Amino acid sequence: MATKLARDVYVIGVGMHRFNNERLASAAMADVAGMQALDDAGIGFPEVGALYNGSLGGGLTSGVGIAKEFGLTGIPVTHVENASATGSCAFGEAVHAVAGGRVDVAMALGFDDMNRMGGLGRSGGRRMGAEDVMLPAAFFAMWATRRMHDVGTTAETFAAIAAKNWNHARANPLAQRRADHEVTIDEVLGSTMISYPHTSMMACAAGGGAAAAIVATREVAERLSSGRPLVRVTASQQRSETYTDGHVFLGAVIGPAQMTRDTAGEAYEQASVGPDDLDLVQVHDAFPVEELVYYELLGICGDGEGDRLVAEGATRLGGRIPFSTDGGLTARGHPGGPTGLAQIHETTLQLRHEAGARQVQRARTGLCHMAGAGSVCVVHILQRTEG
Amino acid sequence: MAAIQVPTDPRLFRLAEGDETRPRLLGSHAPESDLYFWPRRLRCPVTRTPVTDVDLSPEGVLYAWTFLYVPRMGSISFGDTGGYGVGQIDLPEGVRVQAPLLGTTDDWQIGSPMGLTTFPVGRDDDGNDLVTFRFEAVR
Repeated sequence: MATKLARDVYVIGVGMHRFNNERLASAAMADVAGMQALDDAGIGFPEVGALYNGSLGGGLTSGVGIAKEFGLTGIPVTHVENASATGSCAFGEAVHAVAGGRVDVAMALGFDDMNRMGGLGRSGGRRMGAEDVMLPAAFFAMWATRRMHDVGTTAETFAAIAAKNWNHARANPLAQRRADHEVTIDEVLGSTMISYPHTSMMACAAGGGAAAAIVATREVAERLSSGRPLVRVTASQQRSETYTDGHVFLGAVIGPAQMTRDTAGEAYEQASVGPDDLDLVQVHDAFPVEELVYYELLGICGDGEGDRLVAEGATRLGGRIPFSTDGGLTARGHPGGPTGLAQIHETTLQLRHEAGARQVQRARTGLCHMAGAGSVCVVHILQRTEG
Repeated sequence: MAAIQVPTDPRLFRLAEGDETRPRLLGSHAPESDLYFWPRRLRCPVTRTPVTDVDLSPEGVLYAWTFLYVPRMGSISFGDTGGYGVGQIDLPEGVRVQAPLLGTTDDWQIGSPMGLTTFPVGRDDDGNDLVTFRFEAVR
């Protein structure tokens, strides 16, 4: 049973370096995101009691090294790595450090460049084995072909989700993929086929970037708010796999889909909210079949009803429950370590009503979901309260 | 004299022996839960009880598949086909296996029978043929 966080926790600052494909230095991007978050919070680094740095490709404890640029204050610095969910886990660690009373202010920072990494699906110089074949594109493509078989989902539905996220990113200056025109379903379908039925415009944008968030107690948040609405973290849940029928132990990029349903269920219980209370959602949309399945696993609609949500436009900006409002992994980008923190960045802006052209009207409650290879699932729920 | 075939990873599968026509994946069976697993486990992940080594059935049914438009898989080139298939195959023991597929997209139908086979991926330092496993449609 999910219990309430022992102390109330609030997001007091966020920062982000634009996601990109320019092979910029990760340390420099991390510095930009971290300093922005400190400025946004209105504090200096000496007020931070603990730092959780997330990176997949930075190397051994690179997160600890990067912290030195912010100041040698002697605080505990922890390097976090949990595949695509790295940034979400770093944020979760910061939340629990404050909730558990370890510190009053904690910072989570993610930085990476996916283009510089080896890892999943890349055999490198190793002796060839069949376990090496499962590129994420292939793994999620098999989710897609099975869904097409079971539910009758069409490639056009997958393309519609991807086009939606490309178009959301047009209003996000920090997104990696910013089309200069309205992206159409036909355009997505016509891009290069990479793993049937997925085309290149359906695949997440792998690149570089950095993002940061600072969390604190209610007392600190109120002291710093200056009348700005507060953003409270009402749920922070993380799970690993449980056994399911058809469990794949070798080569599965992420574990059973049930993991998302279980993690979200615990998050809803912890926050005392349900799917109908959500105003916006960010998910691990590495491929559009994921976003489609997560509509159902997060309880936004019933099983097999996700296609109808797409057809109705319910999950686009202006719809009933917008998903991936900043472009998602599809178009905002997926550098690795910072991806989950970019979701926190976006949701915080939305709940403060500072998201500009992509603002969800009257947004009060947002959910952030990430899945990571290995595998793990992380769900956070953030809610607006008046300062 | 024909070169000796050697599995790339003898912890995962073995070659056909005696009258067998297909190789075998090497799995585990947990008597208490009556669950089977692949690859082998140290103990049952559900009941934490002991497991025994078993050879799994060499045939199953296709659960899902895709064709990956990538010309190489590790050291193997697929330049002639432009890529390769991968699938998830459900074995009768309740084990789902991910593996490359032999054939073309016309050969793969969800729910159709598939059989385990091997294919060469190179040679080891002793000159033996290294083989790994994949599934093919059973006709």
